[in-house]
Amino acid sequence: MNESTLRALLLTGFLVLIIIYFTTRDSAFLSRENGLNILVNASVIGIVSLGQVLTIISGGFDLSVSGTVPLGSVVFAILVNRGWGILPAVGGVLAVGAVCGLVNGLLVAKVNINPLIATLGTLSVTGGIALTIADGLQIPFSDPNAGVLAEQSLFGVNNHVWILIALSIAIFLVLRYTVFGRYLYAVGGNREAARLGGIRVSAVTTGVYVSSAMLASLAGAVLASQLLTGSGTVGTGSALLSIAAVILGGASLAGGVGGVPGTLIGVLILGTLANGMAIISVPAFYQTIATGLVLLLAVGVSQARRLRLGI
Amino acid sequence: MVEPLLAIDGLAKQYGHHRVLEGVSFTLEAGETAALIGENGAGKSTLAKVLAGAVRPDDGKICIDGKEVSFATPREALTHGIAFIPQELVYVPNLSVAENIVLGRWPRRAGMTSPAWALRQAASEARRFGFQLPLDRQMMALSLAQQQMVEILKAVARNSRIIVLDEPTAALNSEDSQQLLDLMSGLATSGVGVIYISHRLDEVFRACRTVHVLRNGRLVHSSAVSDTNPKDIIRHMLGRSIDEVIVPKERFDGSTKVLELEDWERSASPPLRRVSLAVYEGEIVGLYGVRGAGAETIAETLGGLHPDVRGRTTVAGHALHALRHPVASRRAGIAYVPADRKSQGLVLTLSVQQSFSLLVMRALSRFGVIAGRQEGATARRLASEVRLRARGLGQMVGELSGGNQQKVLVGSRLASTPNVLVLQEPTRGVDVGARLEIHRLLRQLAKDGTGALLVTSDIEEATILSDRLLILRDGAIVHEIHQPTLSSQAEALHAAGGLD
Repeated sequence: MNESTLRALLLTGFLVLIIIYFTTRDSAFLSRENGLNILVNASVIGIVSLGQVLTIISGGFDLSVSGTVPLGSVVFAILVNRGWGILPAVGGVLAVGAVCGLVNGLLVAKVNINPLIATLGTLSVTGGIALTIADGLQIPFSDPNAGVLAEQSLFGVNNHVWILIALSIAIFLVLRYTVFGRYLYAVGGNREAARLGGIRVSAVTTGVYVSSAMLASLAGAVLASQLLTGSGTVGTGSALLSIAAVILGGASLAGGVGGVPGTLIGVLILGTLANGMAIISVPAFYQTIATGLVLLLAVGVSQARRLRLGI
Repeated sequence: MVEPLLAIDGLAKQYGHHRVLEGVSFTLEAGETAALIGENGAGKSTLAKVLAGAVRPDDGKICIDGKEVSFATPREALTHGIAFIPQELVYVPNLSVAENIVLGRWPRRAGMTSPAWALRQAASEARRFGFQLPLDRQMMALSLAQQQMVEILKAVARNSRIIVLDEPTAALNSEDSQQLLDLMSGLATSGVGVIYISHRLDEVFRACRTVHVLRNGRLVHSSAVSDTNPKDIIRHMLGRSIDEVIVPKERFDGSTKVLELEDWERSASPPLRRVSLAVYEGEIVGLYGVRGAGAETIAETLGGLHPDVRGRTTVAGHALHALRHPVASRRAGIAYVPADRKSQGLVLTLSVQQSFSLLVMRALSRFGVIAGRQEGATARRLASEVRLRARGLGQMVGELSGGNQQKVLVGSRLASTPNVLVLQEPTRGVDVGARLEIHRLLRQLAKDGTGALLVTSDIEEATILSDRLLILRDGAIVHEIHQPTLSSQAEALHAAGGLD
């Protein structure tokens, strides 16, 4: 059994343990309704994490999602309130995301700024723009039907979850079967070797940051339709949560390692934890502590294994 | 009788089954400059690292002033008075020169120190030993020659009595080299014992008193420089050939040029001076020279790594606009195999199949989607062409042996059926069996018509593989050997070492 399969099994086992624990504390936890609840809530971070895993595989990471998500939510709310249909509004949101991603890509690939600093900078800018556009306030949907995506469901599963599933499959296929995906693993695994082999590392890097920002922006739109409000203050924890989920799922910050299945399990673990703690009425700040501890534990165990195997 | 400054007796070191050093013994007097010579892999660096305290020997004694010593860490070696200046200098680039000089010797006064103190201390030491250095500038702003001076001053300021220098002039021009050699004699005059590791026989004969020759981990010759001559030294270095089957060369008679360089010039270090050469179809042209002579620079430029090189380049009849970037190099039909497979050539986390196909993804995909079956077929073909030994095409490259990794690297470059192959150190760190197979592969490629430019620091390999061997020195081609044989090694080493 190889390393990544073992890891996936361990993570799933961990998830099962968490579920069992919370069920023993409150049987209401283990219900179809709650399960769907977890999925719907997780879909926002899930979408962001799909973009984050791309950047992390390529050897960087994207902190600016904490600003792009609220920006996406605000832009979506504004466009919908102006009478734009859902699809055009989503298109507008994606366009905004693409611009943010382009800026990130240029800063990292051409100006050669460290991804940490570059995306930290764009985080402040996009977050600031989100707050400015919304005048620091919320932008409620003038027509509650615009949140229609959140209300509708297919086969009893909320549309937002289907969006997450569809995107997960798409990103999985990109990573496994496309040239771009292959280049991501190459650039993340050894940037210099990729460059010397004639791969256009700048183009790949820019593409990855554009993808990440577009997904984050889309997640913002999804979040807005769940809250029926666009706001510059929601989704500001997206960066840390998505990075935690991706690393929990087995990706390496050094790059070259990672995938969709692990990321989804990471997202589920974090989402289940948050939900469970809310159900047993753990105060909010304990939840943050618990999330951090879980991340450290999981990564610690994984690193210890890697050290022992000499990887 | 006065005990020698340094006495090594029966030093041995083994890595796995490989005996890197065996029964090495010699002495060094105060004020003596001893040269340590040997081919790559002969054990020079390991010996230097043992003296520096970076590597523990498996056997043998080290005595300083007659007293046996052992070092667990480099710091202990320093305390005993041995300073090692490696080929790749180790310093803190963003600190000032003065701070680098006093590194590790800051005063233990309430944990506080000051740049002013460092400046004063460094200045007084520089004065004492007669060094002229810009003490307040950042280390990284200095030239390589100056940086080496700083390293040497660091060593002397610590009252090091034995200084080991590893190929210090490798990347220096002749002026700076002479300055360094003068500095070395100055050190010797003041009673320091110097061990000078080098490939440059001319410098050895000019500046050293004694010479020790290592071959395959054993010390095969020790004498005063005045008692020997370069021919003898070379003979000791090469000794009897390793008993290995030499792949026969076909007589090539191609007339089409696949690669032509005309008047290449480079002013940055290491420089190139009016280099012109041609590679014909079906020919393997070898480039050999000491480090910094220009051989690896030419290869790297063909790989797109030195956009500052001026001159004309023609590949398969097409004149190239410029080789500014590896992408341009690949587009021109040049397949470049870099020197360091781990850091420059391979993505160790990819599988064998993925590595083989990495450079030709465009040809193996439609609208951005990888054609799995085609990729598999390509990988299988290349794996058999290079005679790869792996558990399967899905095995991670990082798990393969050095020789097999090298085969994957070379194979990945062949995937695009290039016009010309440019290889650097194709069998570095590769076992004898894999080395032979790679040599066979290259000769087969030559027979099939692919031209190759080969840069290697292994003189034996250069003579085995090349149809024509060009010797470089100080950035220019100084000698050409047609159809070299094993016995051409002496001739090549002569030309590369600057002896007439």
